[in-house]
Amino acid sequence: MTLSRREMLQLLGASAVLTACAGAPPAASQGQGPGTFTVYWNAGHDYQAYRKVIAEFEAAHKVTVNFQKYQWPDLRTRLLADFASGTVPDLVEEPGGWVQEFAISGNARSLQDFVDKDGAAMGFPADWREATVSRNSYNGQVYGVQLHFTATLLVYNKQMLAEAGVEPPTTWQEFLDAARKLTKDGVYGTALNQDHGYVNPWLMQNGVRVYDPATKEVLTPVDQAVEAMRFQADLVHKHKVAPVPVSSTDYSGPQKLFSAKRAAMIITGPWDLGPIRQTSPDIEIGVAAPLTGKELATNAAGVSLFVPSKAARPELSWDFIKRVTALEVEQAATKEVGMLMPRKSWAELPEVKNDPITKAFSEALAVARDSTEEIRLTGQSGRYDEALKVMYQSVVIQNEPADQAVAKLRETAAGFLK
Amino acid sequence: MSLSARYARTAYLFLLPALVFFTAFFYVPIANVIATSLHTGPQADVFAGLSNYADALADPSVRHSFLVTLGFSGGVVAGSLVFGLLLALVLDQPLKGRVTFRAMLLVPYLTSVAIVGLLWRNILDPQLGILNRLGLDQQWLNEHPLATIVGVTLWQTVGYTMVLFLAGLQGIPETYQEAARIDGASAWQRFWRITLPLLAPTTLFVSVMAVISGLQAFGQAYIITNGGPGDATDLSVFHIYATAFKTRDFGYSSAQSVLLLVVIVLFTLMQLRAGKRGEVTY
Repeated sequence: MTLSRREMLQLLGASAVLTACAGAPPAASQGQGPGTFTVYWNAGHDYQAYRKVIAEFEAAHKVTVNFQKYQWPDLRTRLLADFASGTVPDLVEEPGGWVQEFAISGNARSLQDFVDKDGAAMGFPADWREATVSRNSYNGQVYGVQLHFTATLLVYNKQMLAEAGVEPPTTWQEFLDAARKLTKDGVYGTALNQDHGYVNPWLMQNGVRVYDPATKEVLTPVDQAVEAMRFQADLVHKHKVAPVPVSSTDYSGPQKLFSAKRAAMIITGPWDLGPIRQTSPDIEIGVAAPLTGKELATNAAGVSLFVPSKAARPELSWDFIKRVTALEVEQAATKEVGMLMPRKSWAELPEVKNDPITKAFSEALAVARDSTEEIRLTGQSGRYDEALKVMYQSVVIQNEPADQAVAKLRETAAGFLK
Repeated sequence: MSLSARYARTAYLFLLPALVFFTAFFYVPIANVIATSLHTGPQADVFAGLSNYADALADPSVRHSFLVTLGFSGGVVAGSLVFGLLLALVLDQPLKGRVTFRAMLLVPYLTSVAIVGLLWRNILDPQLGILNRLGLDQQWLNEHPLATIVGVTLWQTVGYTMVLFLAGLQGIPETYQEAARIDGASAWQRFWRITLPLLAPTTLFVSVMAVISGLQAFGQAYIITNGGPGDATDLSVFHIYATAFKTRDFGYSSAQSVLLLVVIVLFTLMQLRAGKRGEVTY
């Protein structure tokens, strides 16, 4: 049979359409086939210590690790799209709080069967600080394993404080006095973060509870929450010892000012120490204990690992978790970047005990608390987070009355927490 | 089969790939969004009827973000028309180096909004930005955030608007201008009575496109201000994004998307109607 040119074109067109309509082959995970193990990771946590683990993991399981790095907001966007499509990664690093959220929604896999089998051998949960286990559990089951365990503290420029004759402050009043003395010649005493997550230590130090499950109210006692917000706004707008933060997705503003020697003290965690050392190796960094408002407190933070419920090979994911949370890997990461770790035995390592900065952070972990766990367990932490951002920025950046902003947040929260 | 039927069949076969593409990547997703908007829950798997729409219409934060978006769109439309036309009028003159100027003004339009956003974010940072280092004591991102992102958007898009107006200007026959000149019309009269009316189709196109892109703007709020400070730059699409990916309510965010689609279609129809009334011929 011979085909005319038109018939040939029609045939080609039809076959192209059929090809386009054909579905993609089903994928085990992330569409890279059984030889690929996909990990979502934070871009700032790509340490050599973890690269070594990846190489060993690849050799042991004859797989290629597809190590995808994201900033947290992009990682979340990608992950939620994956959950919707059903094509998920094998393992996810999360910034703290997502494990319980995704356990509630059914997107995270319980790791309890693996913990029951391997927990004793790897020291989980016995060797992990208690707070790091509870914040990764839901309904009595473990859904995630803490990778880093951090806290925010007062980081200061030793030389600047010495030259101004200022001792590291321990209370809010001392902090304000020190900031006043240090603010001169284009240098600010301190710099507040535009990211609303940094509000939690201030709230905790003033005795504020983020969420009370009994009353279903947020930010109680209200007057203490207002006082904490007003204190921060006053640092910027009344006392002018801190620049006005600028709203963005970047939380490194205070670190950049500190590195540029434009701010003498910042409230931050160990994640900012690496960039400071890298950009300004001449700065002698000091780390003080958490400030005391009505009480001595700071918030616990840090990242965890979890396995999506639709991950194709959870046993491989669990093996990766075991390898990357081993004590010697924690030790290597601390040595490499000074990161803080969740194991109790980590606190006894010479790298921790002999380094004054790591030691100061490590000791602070004893008073660090996870202030947002109660709101996370409502499943409404995303909504609360958005409302908190608006409240924090309107007070600290736009200098709106703290009492009105807190009242508005509480009213909004009452709507979705009823 | 008749010849015309054979032609029609061939034409449809050639159209088929495009139809398949648009169906797969536009119409099916739109249908999916409409279906999702009728559901609720983190997985959007609980049927909720029209409650998401009712909630969105009553939600003060949705209303606020819509007003912010209207302000943003209004600024972008007005700025595009005024600055685009001004630049086109200047660069339509026989100036030396005008081709280079035209190309330079078009470069930002060819750059991605992410790059433009990061660039201006760094320029405008009150502490570490270039402007303040040069001695300009500005806090625009804090004091006038919406106007600032309108300005950045105009900086990026005005070159494209200028090109459209230039094309429109060059389509106006020179004989009209000559006749008016002979009749003693001033430059202002010629612009007001000849150039501007004959540019009406271009003006309509520019304003329709600016309204659509203004109502759909996202990158400026996401990259430069993260919707802040507070909710000062919480543009509608950014609000929809936050509802979906931060508060994890895909049903509610889908309902807001559908409402925004309706608003965009209505605005476009209104503009096209108004534009048709204003068309002139000589």
